[in-house]
Amino acid sequence: MFKNLKYLFREGVRNIWSNRTMSLASVGVLASCLMMTGAAVLFSMNINSAMKTIEGSNSVKVYMQQGLPVLTAVRTGEDIKKLDNISSCKFVSKDEAIENVMDMLGQKDATLLSGMTGKDNPLPDAYQVSFRDLSKYKETVTQIEKIGGVGSVNDYSDIAAKLTRLDRMVTTGGFWIVLILSLVSLFIISNTIRVTMFSRRLEINIMKSVGATDWFVRLPFVVEGVIIGLISGALSTVVLHLLYGKMTGTLSSITLFTPLPISGMSMRLTLLSLLAGSVFGALGGAISIGKYLKKEGGDIVDW
Amino acid sequence: MIDFQNVSKVYSNGTQALKGVSLHVDDGEFVFIVGQSGAGKSTFLKLITCEERPTQGEIVVGNQKLSELKRNQVPYMRRMMGMVFQDFRLISKMTVYENVAFAMHVVGASNREIRKRVPYILGLVNLQDKARCHPRELSGGEQQRVGLARALVNNPRLLIADEPTGNVDPALSFEIVDLLNEINKRGTTVLMVTHEHSLVKHFQRRVVEINSGAVVADSCNWEVRNV
Repeated sequence: MFKNLKYLFREGVRNIWSNRTMSLASVGVLASCLMMTGAAVLFSMNINSAMKTIEGSNSVKVYMQQGLPVLTAVRTGEDIKKLDNISSCKFVSKDEAIENVMDMLGQKDATLLSGMTGKDNPLPDAYQVSFRDLSKYKETVTQIEKIGGVGSVNDYSDIAAKLTRLDRMVTTGGFWIVLILSLVSLFIISNTIRVTMFSRRLEINIMKSVGATDWFVRLPFVVEGVIIGLISGALSTVVLHLLYGKMTGTLSSITLFTPLPISGMSMRLTLLSLLAGSVFGALGGAISIGKYLKKEGGDIVDW
Repeated sequence: MIDFQNVSKVYSNGTQALKGVSLHVDDGEFVFIVGQSGAGKSTFLKLITCEERPTQGEIVVGNQKLSELKRNQVPYMRRMMGMVFQDFRLISKMTVYENVAFAMHVVGASNREIRKRVPYILGLVNLQDKARCHPRELSGGEQQRVGLARALVNNPRLLIADEPTGNVDPALSFEIVDLLNEINKRGTTVLMVTHEHSLVKHFQRRVVEINSGAVVADSCNWEVRNV
C-alpha cells in the first residue's frame, strides 16, 4: 500500500488536471465558504478583544453637570471617593478633555475645534473613577449617579452588552451561512469527483478485477479532494489576509476602534483554512466513491 | 481448483440464473463453458469472481470457501485470477506497456518488478514490438492479446476468459485460444466461455454446457445432468 503512495498521489493530481473545469468550480465554492468562515472567526475575535478591553478597564467616566462650579465639582469628587468600591478617582478638567480630543483628531482636524476652548468649551468637567470589585459595577454606578452634581456616568456595560448581542448575531448568522455553504461545497466536490470517476470507470473496473483493495481505488479520489481542499484553503487565506489588511487600515483611520493585527492570527488562520479545506475535500472524495465501490464488474462500466 | 456444490442463484428481480449446479474443475484443467445467451454462463463466472454471491450451495476456489470470504478479502482472492473480457477493456490513453503494468501497480508491485515482468509477458503474447503503441493502433486480435497479457502479468493460478474471441476475426480466434492453450500447458487453469463450436471442436478440451441455469452436459464424464 505505502510503496504505492507516490503512484496514487500522481493519479490524484492527474484526476484534477483531466477534470480542471469542475475542479476550478469546486475550488471557487470551497474557497468562498472558507473565506466566510474565516471572516466570521476574525469578526468574532475582534469583538471579543474589544469586549475584553472594555471589561478589562475597570473604570468609568463620571461627567459633572454642565456649568457646575469647580468647587462643587471637587466636593462631588470627595463624595465619590467616600464610596466603598472606589480605588481611584482622578479629576479631568474640561480643558484637559478638549485637549485630549484635539490630540486624538490630529493636528489638521484639531483646528476645527480651535474655537471651542476656554469659555466656549462644550465639554463638562469629569472624574476618571476606578473600581475595586467589578462584580459591584452596576451597584456602584447607581450610587455615583445619585451623588449631587453628577450629570452622567459613561457606563461601558451597555456597550459590552451590545457587542455581545452583535457577536451572538454574527456567530449565529455565520454558522448558518457557513453550514449551507459547507453543504454546497461538499455537494460540488463530490460531484466533481463523481465526474472523474465516471471518466475513469473502465480503470476502476480493471482495478477491481485484478484485485485492487477498496482503499487503492478510493485513495486517488480522496487525494483529488484533499488537493482541491488545500488549494481552496490557501486561496481563501490569501484573499482574507488582503481584505482584512485593507479593512483594518480603513477602520483604524475612520473610527477610534483598533482591530486586531492579522500577523498575530496569521499562522492559526492559515492552518485552520488548510485543515478545514483538506477535511472537506477528503470527505467529498470519500462520499462520492463510497457508494460506487459496491458496484461490481460490468455494473461499473455500464454506470 | 473450482468446486461448485449444488449452487443456485436467484437475482433480486426473481430471475433464477443457476439451479443446483455441481461441478468440479481440477488444477491445471482447460474447460470450455458453452451455452446459449442467458443460459447462466456469466452468472457462473460472476460467482467465481465473487461479483455475485450464491443464493444456495457452496463454492470453493483454490481451497477457499467463498461463503466464508469477507468483502474486504475478495480483492486478495481475485489476485489469483486473471480476467479476459470480450470487449478487451483496454485503457485507450495508455500504451500497451502501461495497460499491462497497470495491473501490477494495482496489486502493489514495485517499479523494478514491473520493468522486469511486463516485457517478459509481452514477449509471451508476441507483442514485444508493440509496447509503445496505443490500443487504437492495434488489430482486434492484438488488442485481445494485450488483454491476455494483462490477465497473466500477476501470474494467476486461474484464467477466466469471457468470450475472448467474440470481437476477433474468426481466423485470429484460433490464435487466441492457441495462446490460452500454451498458458494452460504452463500450469494455469483456464476457464473459457465461448459460443464458437469450431473452437471447441478443434481444441478437444473439456466442455461444460450450461442451459437454463443448469449443467446439461459435461464432456469430462460424458453424462447429461439436470436435464
